[in-house]
Amino acid sequence: MTNKNSAPCVELRGVVKKFSGLVAVDHVDLKVEQGKVFSLLGPSGCGKTTTLRLVAGLEMLDGGDILIDGEVINDVPAYNRDCSTVFQTLALFPHMTVEGNIAYGLERRKVDKAEIKVRIGEMVELMGLGGMEKRHPAQLSGGQRQRVALARSLVLRPKILLLDEPLASLDRKLRKEMQVELKRIQREVGITFLYVTHDQKVALSISDIIAVMANGKLEQIGSARDIYETPKTKLIADFMGASNIFPGKARDKAGKNVEIETESGLKIIALKGKDKDGNSKEITGVSVHPELIGISHKGTDVKVGNKFEGKIVEMIYQGDFIETKVVIGRTGEQITANLGSEFGQETQFSPGEEVVVYWNPASSNILLG
Amino acid sequence: METKNITSKILPVSAILVYLFLWLPTIVLVVLSFSNNKFGIKWEGFTLRWYADIINNVGIRNALKMSLTVALVTVVLSTIIGTLTAYGLYKYKFHGKKFLRTSILLPITVPYVVTGGALLVFFTRVVNIPLGYPSIIIAHVTFSAPLATFVVLGRMGRIDWTLEEASADLGANVLTTWRKVTLPVLLPAIIASAALIFPWSFDDFTITYFVCGIGTTTLPIYVFSQLRYGATSVINTIGTIFVVLPVIGLLLMNLLQKKKVS
Repeated sequence: MTNKNSAPCVELRGVVKKFSGLVAVDHVDLKVEQGKVFSLLGPSGCGKTTTLRLVAGLEMLDGGDILIDGEVINDVPAYNRDCSTVFQTLALFPHMTVEGNIAYGLERRKVDKAEIKVRIGEMVELMGLGGMEKRHPAQLSGGQRQRVALARSLVLRPKILLLDEPLASLDRKLRKEMQVELKRIQREVGITFLYVTHDQKVALSISDIIAVMANGKLEQIGSARDIYETPKTKLIADFMGASNIFPGKARDKAGKNVEIETESGLKIIALKGKDKDGNSKEITGVSVHPELIGISHKGTDVKVGNKFEGKIVEMIYQGDFIETKVVIGRTGEQITANLGSEFGQETQFSPGEEVVVYWNPASSNILLG
Repeated sequence: METKNITSKILPVSAILVYLFLWLPTIVLVVLSFSNNKFGIKWEGFTLRWYADIINNVGIRNALKMSLTVALVTVVLSTIIGTLTAYGLYKYKFHGKKFLRTSILLPITVPYVVTGGALLVFFTRVVNIPLGYPSIIIAHVTFSAPLATFVVLGRMGRIDWTLEEASADLGANVLTTWRKVTLPVLLPAIIASAALIFPWSFDDFTITYFVCGIGTTTLPIYVFSQLRYGATSVINTIGTIFVVLPVIGLLLMNLLQKKKVS
């Protein structure tokens, strides 16, 4: 995955951080490649923010090494590290103007005044902050403040930009806009991003690589697509919104399919060997994303590997889809399917109706121990 | 409806009464300071001679000078001590912090007479500090610094402390961070505590009376001693100045704030 010819932009080797005896970051190894957007994704308290703060130098290591551009920087204080952070609270200096905020880091680096002016100008243009230079943070909108925080860090041209859930405080529409903006800015300046978030949607849309963290450990690293479509463990599957998770054991491994039987006896077929180390670990279950499941009226002849008869128990309108819950008649499992509303499917079904739920074996994702 | 009518009539009347109760003595004092009566206790025609008197009075001038000096030095010392104390109490974790915090704020609740008496004994019997400027300033700082600590601590609870981290992250060392970020962010609280401490120190009578020694007087003590000789007309004049100056100060501050906002 990593380019062996050049050192990764940031590398963590066996990094450990404890807070009064509790392990917050537990032997984390990762490499962030130059020019990529690398996301640390996980529920709150999983250690992702602590990991970021360790890279920034705002927390001291209890073990392991952190390297920037191949150099160990464990003992370099925060103010001498070649990285810059966009904080969750943004932490704009309230007593300084937009200009003052952006100039702050350059002034600390003793860049000369004329040069500072030029670079502020560039940043203001890149961020679309024209005309705001003399304003104070309190006089800006949420989105503008976001841009100032980004500009303040980017103007230093750091090796890596660390972002700690910078979009969390924005409303949904603005968050979407800023996601696109972030991507654009990252492409234009080409700086490596290390992005911490608990929002899987944000992570999926902006990342080149996602690392999922839980309980201080890295659970899985992969592309957005890998993580979403083939989460390795139950925990990741759950976190990525695969609401159908069936713990079970592999029964029949012959042929190109695997048959997995749940405790209640439901037999689910999955494709074998999607994942290379799939055979070394024990299969512990199956997950299926709700949008990959179809529903038909009872008696319809469906020619798909997985099909089960059941009864609709609930239909919840979600706007762009209808969350439909079906209980399998024979074994009692509940399956959730997201029905798109484009073909008027909501009018075809009603709660209490007997139906067939089905999905392709390729849609079944195998969970490992 | 009826009860509402009654309350709506009673409310303004009682409000006016309370205002009069608060302000009437002061208004009487201000009016009588212009009265041509030797004792300043009744109206006998307009005059400015009492104002001319206090300008020419060396005793008052010296007392005023001393009061101002004491108040200024007290403000500077107490805000510095208060700010540093508050920062330490807020930011650092150490054993006995809670005890220290309470014991630092406690002097505010001790009666002035007790503080004054204790300080006098302390200065004369224990550490031998000359009575006069040094004793008065130390005494004032002992009751002002806790106040500054209290006000600055209150502000610290509402500050986003990632500001300091952001400053370090952008390349500032600890000292620069203090100078460029922490101090400016705390400045409103520091100014507020100074605005509280200045009049408190300037007006203080009780504690100063204990520790001022012989020959030195601050303005409140001068006023008190004049009162015993019955020179009430001068008191009216000084009182008026005491009332009018802070009002002008407040109005100016309001004006400046409005300007800054717009």
